Amino acid sequence: MLFYSYFKTLVGKEITVDLKNDLSITGTLHSVDQYLNIKLNNIKLANPAKYPHMLSVRNCFIRGSVVRYVQLPPGSVDVELLHDATRREARGG
Amino acid sequence: MSNEAGIRPYVDTTISVITNDGRSIVGVLRGFDQTCNLILDECHERVYSSKAGVEQLVLGLYVIRGDNIAVIGEVDEELDAQLDFDSLRAEPLQPVTH
Amino acid sequence: MAEEADATVKEPLDLIKLSLDERVYVKLKGDRELRGKLHAYDQHLNMILGDVEEVVTSVDIDEETFEEIVRTNKRMLPYLFLRGDGVILVSPPLRS
Repeated sequence: MLFYSYFKTLVGKEITVDLKNDLSITGTLHSVDQYLNIKLNNIKLANPAKYPHMLSVRNCFIRGSVVRYVQLPPGSVDVELLHDATRREARGG
Repeated sequence: MSNEAGIRPYVDTTISVITNDGRSIVGVLRGFDQTCNLILDECHERVYSSKAGVEQLVLGLYVIRGDNIAVIGEVDEELDAQLDFDSLRAEPLQPVTH
Repeated sequence: MAEEADATVKEPLDLIKLSLDERVYVKLKGDRELRGKLHAYDQHLNMILGDVEEVVTSVDIDEETFEEIVRTNKRMLPYLFLRGDGVILVSPPLRS
């Protein structure tokens, strides 16, 4: 639940999602669910010339299981808060 | 979970599905479930190639298993109509490696 | 008392708990490696790392000599969420 809760605080912020098929999609986080499926609005691909496959797509749903990384906006990472939440989660299971 | 999340808002609209093996399937979403299994109507596959334009294969009515779906995109019909598929050249997408 | 309970290592994740706020090395599937400060993790080994260096290693075969050419691509990222299913190993604080 830690990361689900954390991603909910990022709604409305711009993030870049790196996928396991090497696609890299940047967009505004619209929503996230318990599986860490991610919905992005106003998406841009890192390399549209190489990847024109989503040229007519503005908004998309990314299945959580194909996410490799999410690049987070530096201003939205509260390190102390994350440490506390991680320790709480480690204790409670 | 609010209705805003997930794929419910895409029902009865045209979507583009990127599968884990790197294919791109476009069709009208008629239904879905928890695991992202989809019912896709009037679907066709867009086959990308670096040597020729995009080939469109008519597939018909498909059920796509959620485990094999990477991305579901909401197709903007206006943008889509502007694309010149005959002159688009691109390598096929990489498959997803888990 | 609570301190003592926190510091005993009984299972693998206890070792990772001790690495919180320290720089760790993470080896991933697909010849990827990360080095960064561990800010959060869960039981799946999903993590948030800070000041991350990613190294991707790929091997090309020279078409003429058939020699293997090893390439490494590096990039720096300020903050990264990493999905746990790609993790092969986590190594606690780097001494160097």
